[in-house]
Amino acid sequence: MRFLSFIEPILARLAGFIMVLLVLSLMIFLLARVVPGDPARMALGPSATQEQVAELRLEMGLDEPILTQYVAYMGRALQGDLGRSITSGRPVLSDIADFLPATLELVLVTVFLMVIIAIPLGVLTARHRDRWIDNSGRLFSLIGVTIPSFLFAIGLQLLAANFFPDWPILGRVDYRLSPPDGPTGLLLIDSIVHGRADVFLDALQHLAFPALALAMSGIGQVTRITRSAMIENQRKDHVLTLRSFGVPDRVIVFRYLLKLSSVAPLTIMGLEFASLIGNAFVVEMVFGWGGFASYGLTAILQKDLNALMAVVLISGLFFIVANLVIDVVLSVIDPRQRRRAAA
Amino acid sequence: MSAKNLPQTAAEADIETGLPLDSDAPPLSAGYMTWFRFSRNPAALVGAFIVASVILVALFAPLIATHPDHVGAVVDFRNRHMPPSADNWMGTDKAGRDIFSRTVFGFRVSLLLVIGVLGISVPVGSALGMAAGYFGGWTERLIAGFTNVMLAMPPLVMALAIGNVLEPNLTNAMIAITLLWWTWHARLIYRVTRSIVSEDYIEAARLAGASHLHILWREILPNCISVISVKTTLDAAFVILFGATLSFLGFGVKPPTPDLGSMVADGRQFVPEMWWEVLAPGFAIFYATLGFNLLGDGLRDMFDVET
Repeated sequence: MRFLSFIEPILARLAGFIMVLLVLSLMIFLLARVVPGDPARMALGPSATQEQVAELRLEMGLDEPILTQYVAYMGRALQGDLGRSITSGRPVLSDIADFLPATLELVLVTVFLMVIIAIPLGVLTARHRDRWIDNSGRLFSLIGVTIPSFLFAIGLQLLAANFFPDWPILGRVDYRLSPPDGPTGLLLIDSIVHGRADVFLDALQHLAFPALALAMSGIGQVTRITRSAMIENQRKDHVLTLRSFGVPDRVIVFRYLLKLSSVAPLTIMGLEFASLIGNAFVVEMVFGWGGFASYGLTAILQKDLNALMAVVLISGLFFIVANLVIDVVLSVIDPRQRRRAAA
Repeated sequence: MSAKNLPQTAAEADIETGLPLDSDAPPLSAGYMTWFRFSRNPAALVGAFIVASVILVALFAPLIATHPDHVGAVVDFRNRHMPPSADNWMGTDKAGRDIFSRTVFGFRVSLLLVIGVLGISVPVGSALGMAAGYFGGWTERLIAGFTNVMLAMPPLVMALAIGNVLEPNLTNAMIAITLLWWTWHARLIYRVTRSIVSEDYIEAARLAGASHLHILWREILPNCISVISVKTTLDAAFVILFGATLSFLGFGVKPPTPDLGSMVADGRQFVPEMWWEVLAPGFAIFYATLGFNLLGDGLRDMFDVET
């Protein structure tokens, strides 16, 4: 029974998210179909004959009504067939399988950086409110929020070029090291599985700057939210009670306040995920990171409709999965969240 | 705070609170009180100064720029990639154009984008948010449902997709951002409206026979103004940042019109040797977003609202 009460609200949110994904895919589908220019003509190039184009249009189902096309597309998508990319000529799904791990690795390390930098910084600034630590922490988070990630990325590259000439600023891993094959495609994990310390360290070096550039805006936001949540919760009655009982300050902060104050920043991090994915497009471009976002950018520029659809759907899925994970974490650390979600 | 017990001149006000020293003093304007609180917040003042300077620079760009003609399709190959000098304060770019002058004009594009996006999305979003909060029922469900869908969409991916369906230029970038932006205002104003819709004075207006339009316009909207102005100021920063990112990726104005994001993208190819090519436009983006952020935070403290 206890387990059910825990899982039910999450299922309810999952259903909501699936609705969101459906509407989203319909929107993008409609949008992609009003693109000026014939996708079949784009795929075949200017030298193709009229008959070849007509044949491909028939094959792609472009002459059917849009809604029929959408239903057919979704039917195939559910069976794992996302169509063929016109730029790479391969099934979109295998393209994605190649490109996604690089982005997944980048995003996971970014989120890790966000959590280990922003939350302690938020706690620290709140505890030293209006002192120099607080002021410099607030300045730091303001800078994180105001500087676009492409400037951070370029700035970090400049820094490396001038002061650490040996630090890698392009790509995922040194081309001279042959990275181990599989099983996950995440270099950090694969290199551990295969016992390749050299690849692990090299991949970590390559990851540091892109992940930092990508994390900065989130760090700024999360630090701010953590700080204000800590300050607000310090004034709550039960905290005052603990304090009047003579519970040591450290225990209050780490046992009670931190847990209570991580609800707001975690929620914000879920929402931040949408812009995180967007900024990954920029950061991957600057650092030559051959990932999913680079793939998406090419798809958009080339009007590669199947690839574009897949990129949008998977970006949405990314957001949804991240938010579900956060919902689960929240309902573990804050029982009130379960009732809230159920309502 | 009622206007009755406020001091009329600064000399009569308590220096800490702005409250009157003499309780019989004649009333002081609410505008003065607001200014009083605002003027005691140094970060907000810096923000206001930066925003004012950005607007002035954009307005008087032809007078400030040292090489106003370099905004167009000028090519001066003898002077390409020159480091900062007395003649070219911020150096020259790959076509030998003065980067300082182009950055000054670049503010115009950023501000146009802000005006275009917020000029549409703020009224539309606020109106829909108020309607959802006031009418409830299906209106509420529809608008709330739609905003939730938009929230799951990475805005940059969406804007790129829209921007590419249409031709990439400033107007279409504006349209793409606007289509995404109104939802945030709708959500916020919806929350504010929900929190005040059952207040007594709204009930009183309804009993007095006021129309829906009157209640929305005269009773609810004035309560939302402070939230809207804070959110709009903070949003201006995000729109500049977002627009710069879009044009950095190649979805901005058409060359040769200077635009901060595409100037950084152009200069990036020559980094690290020719660092000055990204310095001025990059700093300009930071300067403008910092200003609007500080001003927005200051306004939030002043009105004491949550956004």
